[in-house]
Amino acid sequence: MSPRQANFSPYVPRPATLVRKERLSDMVSLFAFEPDDGRSLAHKPGQFIMLSMYGVGEAPFSISSPPRRQSVEFEIAVRNIGTVTNALHELEVGQKVGVRGPHGTFFPVQVFMGKDTLFVAGGLGYIPLRSLLHYQLRHRDEFGRIIVLVGTRNPQERIFTDQIAELAARSDVEVYETVDVPDAGWKGNVGVITTLLPQIRSLQPDNTYVAMVGPPVMYKFVIADCQKMGIPAGNIYVSLERKMKCGLGKCGHCQINGVSACIDGPVFKYTEIQTLKEAV
Amino acid sequence: MTAYTVYMEQLGPLLAEWSRRMGVFVPVQIQEALYDFVPWSEHEEIAWDYDVAYNSIKRHFFPPRENLIRFDAAACTATPVFEAPDQLLFGVHPYDLKAVNQLDQIMEGGAPDQNYMRRREKTVIFALQPQRVAATAFWGSMGSGHVDIGFDLFWTKISPNAFYVEVGSPRGEELLLACGDLPEATLAEREAARRERTRILAEARGQGLKYPWEETPRLLARNWDSKLWRHKARRCLSCGSCVLVCPTCYCFEVREEMDVDMKGGTRFREWDGCMLPSFALVAGDHNFRGQALERYRHRYFRKGKYIYDKIGELGCVGCGRCVRACTAGIANPMAVYNELWEAEQHES
Ligand SMILES: Cc1cc2nc3c(=O)[nH]c(=O)nc-3n(C[C@H](O)[C@H](O)[C@H](O)COP(=O)(O)OP(=O)(O)OC[C@H]3O[C@@H](n4cnc5c(N)ncnc54)[C@H](O)[C@@H]3O)c2cc1C
Ligand code: SF4
Ligand code: SF4
Ligand code: FES
Repeated sequence: MSPRQANFSPYVPRPATLVRKERLSDMVSLFAFEPDDGRSLAHKPGQFIMLSMYGVGEAPFSISSPPRRQSVEFEIAVRNIGTVTNALHELEVGQKVGVRGPHGTFFPVQVFMGKDTLFVAGGLGYIPLRSLLHYQLRHRDEFGRIIVLVGTRNPQERIFTDQIAELAARSDVEVYETVDVPDAGWKGNVGVITTLLPQIRSLQPDNTYVAMVGPPVMYKFVIADCQKMGIPAGNIYVSLERKMKCGLGKCGHCQINGVSACIDGPVFKYTEIQTLKEAV
Repeated sequence: MTAYTVYMEQLGPLLAEWSRRMGVFVPVQIQEALYDFVPWSEHEEIAWDYDVAYNSIKRHFFPPRENLIRFDAAACTATPVFEAPDQLLFGVHPYDLKAVNQLDQIMEGGAPDQNYMRRREKTVIFALQPQRVAATAFWGSMGSGHVDIGFDLFWTKISPNAFYVEVGSPRGEELLLACGDLPEATLAEREAARRERTRILAEARGQGLKYPWEETPRLLARNWDSKLWRHKARRCLSCGSCVLVCPTCYCFEVREEMDVDMKGGTRFREWDGCMLPSFALVAGDHNFRGQALERYRHRYFRKGKYIYDKIGELGCVGCGRCVRACTAGIANPMAVYNELWEAEQHES
């Protein structure tokens, strides 16, 4: 519906059908949907949708799939943690949800072209970054080095493990992974995500753009280390998640000081939020 | 601008005519020293000299609870719900109108909020020059004593039985002349209205900020780490009264309810407020403003800086409602801003 239509309301979702569901970890599953009206979301990497489980509620989720021309399908990956996410995890293929969006700002793909990209994915942060990452992989020639840092609390919570293993096997992608707390079977790095930064070989700071999403505690430390490595503040992009109720810049819940994370974000260039006390 | 003179005895028939066309709301005294807008009837005595209405008029365009969509839970289809009755708010003070104009800008900006806008379009506003200043008010010092836009008519009482009425819109003029022609105001009457405005503004300026209101955003920018926040917030009950009574606050929560047959349901919004502890609480128990200090400070920054950075006006119009509403006695923006200002004067 377009705003010109008489009965338009930005609060009305459109129906979409679950076409695929895949378990990623104990708590996280991937959900692929197709909008019933056959129109693509036409999203950009980093944007999110408001998803309605009718009778339960609505909640924001990052779009994890890259923009695609050939198909209207899109993917989200969701941790089962509360009322809306519970209901979503109960959903079976063929059943429907409501979708609004895409909402928010996005990673400026053009800016990243020809440059090296450093992905910093803490925990569920891999979900939104995957959209940009897969876009870059599809257009591999247009981008420089692709360096992916993945940090998870413990091995059980790792998500997209097969895909990450495939990435690690590629010669044109550099993958570094760590867990905060290992278990008996874990053979990789142990430590917080910042411990991976010094392992990157011959990083060219001026030519490197950073795309970073993770838990709230992560940003300050990673940003500080990136800057210490010489990456300009203007090359750092972060996605900041807050409580969101409307996705339209109206309800006030997502405010970071005077900025609305739902329309001014979630993706910010670090220099835009550097001076905001409540940002990172 | 066209202006007419209206005599008290002409009002009865006009009000009767208007209320045949739409819901008419007027300020009346509801208790000793307490006024509020109520639906007009001929038995109601309009409190022309009310100082401040207990409730702000935002509830007429932004009700405490408002349906947004109706949905069919099985089919996952939804349709918008719009309720927008024709209404006339008669007797709105300039500071409250300024608050409405601010809501208009915010709700119309970006993705226009159709529910708000439809209600607003159906609402006629007759502004009224205040005759008294509430003890808790400080609008005179907040740049809220005067508004140029947003009203359909602007009424100023210029004698015990006459009003000087400025036309703000064709819709307003049509309603004013609904019972027949009226004499255009004379220059002397215009002058009387101007004098009345000057008198009340002078009185209102007597209580307020100790510095020009335009300085507030910069004052706050220098005072993020002031001790005042902790000191005052210690007494905050996190009850949210200060934001619920405020004419410029518009934050809301979205919830939904199923019908009894469990097939369909309604999603609605409800007033919410940044002073309530759960406002920025997300799943996994992370709270982006978990401490009372952070919530308390946020409200003053929002009123004194964030809204200003967006639209060039303060987000507080100085009505003083929050001052009365706060049992802890800490919600007064004027007192907080003045205290910050004075502390700086002593430092330098
Ligand atoms: C831009 C953005 C992108 C996100 N992307 C993802 C994602 O890709 N995968 C994922 O698993 N989670 C994501 N989240 C977090 C996800 O929205 C919450 O986990 C979800 O809202 C929890 O809802 P619930 O009803 O299950 O939980 P409850 O705790 O029962 O929450 C009730 C309501 O509170 C609000 N709420 C609670 N937690 C959050 C939160 N963290 N963020 C915003 N609103 C919240 C929601 O409106 C929700 O309906 C994202 C959040 C934002 C803001
Ligand atoms: S903050 Fe208080 S004085 Fe200012 S507009 Fe709101 S209720 Fe009125
Ligand atoms: S400042 Fe006063 S009115 Fe506002 S939440 Fe605190 S105690 Fe309640
Ligand atoms: S989610 Fe409502 S203002 Fe951002």
